[in-house]
Amino acid sequence: MFDIRRISNSRWWHKKKNWLFFGIFLFLVFVRISKGSIYKDFYYYISKPFWPSQFQKEIILESIEQESLIKLNLLKKDNVRLRKILSLQESNDNERISAVVISRKTGSWWRQITLNKGSKDGVEIGSIVVGPGGLLGRVDKTSSFTSSVTLLTSPESKVGVWLERTQMSGLLIGLGDDFPKLILYSKDADIKIGDFVSSSPASTLLPPNIPIGIVQSVEEPFKSKKTAKILLLAKPHAIDWVQILKVRI
Amino acid sequence: MDKFFKKNFSIITLIFIPIIFLWHPNWLGIFGIQPYWPLFWLLPWAMIHGSSSGIIFGLFLGLILDALTLDSNFSQIPGLILCGFIFGRIKLNRDLLVGHFRYGLICSFGSFLCGTLYFLQILFHNFSDSTYLLFFPSFYNILAEVFLTGLFAPLICSQLFRVFQYSRK
Repeated sequence: MFDIRRISNSRWWHKKKNWLFFGIFLFLVFVRISKGSIYKDFYYYISKPFWPSQFQKEIILESIEQESLIKLNLLKKDNVRLRKILSLQESNDNERISAVVISRKTGSWWRQITLNKGSKDGVEIGSIVVGPGGLLGRVDKTSSFTSSVTLLTSPESKVGVWLERTQMSGLLIGLGDDFPKLILYSKDADIKIGDFVSSSPASTLLPPNIPIGIVQSVEEPFKSKKTAKILLLAKPHAIDWVQILKVRI
Repeated sequence: MDKFFKKNFSIITLIFIPIIFLWHPNWLGIFGIQPYWPLFWLLPWAMIHGSSSGIIFGLFLGLILDALTLDSNFSQIPGLILCGFIFGRIKLNRDLLVGHFRYGLICSFGSFLCGTLYFLQILFHNFSDSTYLLFFPSFYNILAEVFLTGLFAPLICSQLFRVFQYSRK
């Protein structure tokens, strides 16, 4: 009897389809590792015809006036204080980059905006983004032509803030809704509805005195902490033009 | 070329999911919250091609969408893989009206699963005394997303289902 050897054609590597899937998988892993740069740059090109025009004054005029007044007062006070103490951060106004919001996710958990300026234009990770009204967030990722900004409302956002009236520092954390929470680590902290919140002079991430928001409601103290709901001055769902500030720490 | 497009049309439509995810059309949402777009594609795909294919494409979608979102600590992959598996186990229904209604229900359930898994990741990562603050907004996010996904699913899924079946033939 002869032993007939069968050559199997049904191995997985003989199937073209499996190699195709493997190829797609490798490509997607590359996309994941490159943090979606290809996709974002592709989106940059296809969304270019739909970018907003410079026609937003009517909507944002009120926010700009509010911001200017608050900022002026803060700068006066800050100027006096800075003559006495050494500042920790500084931001150079000459290094502002204007950018258009080309994609925004302001609902659900993914609270981010994508801007049309990227590393090619000098945007760096950690740069802060301000819009009419005040602080919006920080640049978290950059591709050649785009940069992605984590908004203050994102669950990943945690920034040090300053309560102007009582001169207290606190932590502003995003919860995934439109109103981030301010946490003050003192049960007896003096905080009232309408108090103004700005970036903390002690923050290592942000330049001082950038308007952030107003206290909308104060909650009962819990475990030696006091929390408050903050109404942000800058409205990411309506803003089309923003400024990127390079931070020097 | 034409034959190639007809045959692979279902795969080509996959490219549009991240585009819509980035585009985030506000006029289609409620209070800034959008339906969970990847499920509209994953449901008809997994129903036609089965669980294993559903798992693979759930992984693919998760990889792309994770790349586009900034939350590097949280992933959409577990939810989408689970949905791909579950959707693949669902049998087709001959009744057109029942089928339409089912798309809505199944997608709502899938959205609830993905939302809950994502929320659990946030919860574990940010576990502290102030964790309780996350509950209400997250609950609200999940509910709004479930409602919107269920609302749009019959419209989008049934169309995609027909396209996928045609391209498979």
